[in-house]
Amino acid sequence: MNTLKILLRNLVRGPSTVPFPFAPAWTPERMRGRIEFKLSSCTGCRACEQVCAPGAIRFDKTPEGLRFMMWHNTCVFCGLCEFYCPTDAIRNGNDWHMAHAVGEKYGMAIRETIPYVACTACGMKALASAPNPAGVKPPFTPEEIEQQRNLCPACRKKALAERGVQP
Amino acid sequence: MTLMQTLTEKAKNLAVRSPWIYRINAGSCNGCDVECATTALIPRYDVERLGCQYCGSPRHADIVLITGPLTARIKEDVLRVFAEIPDPKVTVAVGVCPISGGIFRESYAVNAEVDHYLPVDINVPGCPPRPQAIIEGVAQAIALWRQRI
Ligand code: SF4
Ligand code: SF4
Ligand code: SF4
Repeated sequence: MNTLKILLRNLVRGPSTVPFPFAPAWTPERMRGRIEFKLSSCTGCRACEQVCAPGAIRFDKTPEGLRFMMWHNTCVFCGLCEFYCPTDAIRNGNDWHMAHAVGEKYGMAIRETIPYVACTACGMKALASAPNPAGVKPPFTPEEIEQQRNLCPACRKKALAERGVQP
Repeated sequence: MTLMQTLTEKAKNLAVRSPWIYRINAGSCNGCDVECATTALIPRYDVERLGCQYCGSPRHADIVLITGPLTARIKEDVLRVFAEIPDPKVTVAVGVCPISGGIFRESYAVNAEVDHYLPVDINVPGCPPRPQAIIEGVAQAIALWRQRI
């Protein structure tokens, strides 16, 4: 009787083997996979570099600016960088198709640079990073973010003070 | 074509359909080994649909899965076992440990990266990679192995 029940159930439900690799695999929405980095939102605070246990994230000062490097081949997909990032510039996407030939080993990386610009107010050399939104009320509008991006730290403070909020 | 060549050709054509997989634990935390076992043993993932099967002896292996960061203690044994695996073989590094050392990177007790010591062919990053990702790596390895044999 039991056998019959199982047989019927299997007939109705179909095989329990997932069809991958012959068909796409189901992926949970919030699965932590390949890192996505959005340069335009990054404040250059380097919190992600601090919290990354295997040292998958590295920042270097170069003549052009602050270079961000992230290597998927040592990332343990813990999600700490996403958790501590103040602007959601870095996050874990749910792409897990990362198997690769060994020749591409060092290609499994993200390399981007936050460039230096001349401050639009005083002309000083400064990083064109996004402003830190922490404690800013009301929140920055997109125009204000672009304006802040092109200011040096001192002029950013001044602009914030004029806005009526202590930075 | 001599009889020997014909036979070799026939054997090759038969063999490419069913590589044997061998697993080496080079000091892994067991996370990746559990995923490898899951990939093979439970019907939900069933890597045997690709025509391959896990085997117990390095001398029978065609595809080698290596997990773990090659700890100082296990290094000699891993190299010895690896040397017993006949050519042609395809080596797959499963997890970030063998690829770069992962979370154990720069530790005094590990000799990662494994590809400094062994010829690795395919990398499957993840800590651990999900079973489907391992299957993807094995599928790439099988494709490579078919070219090699
Ligand atoms: S997910 Fe974890 S290991 Fe990966 S880059 Fe972020 S902090 Fe580092
Ligand atoms: S803003 Fe986010 S991505 Fe940029 S340095 Fe800070 S934590 Fe890292
Ligand atoms: S990659 Fe992660 S899960 Fe796999 S052996 Fe290393 S630490 Fe363990």
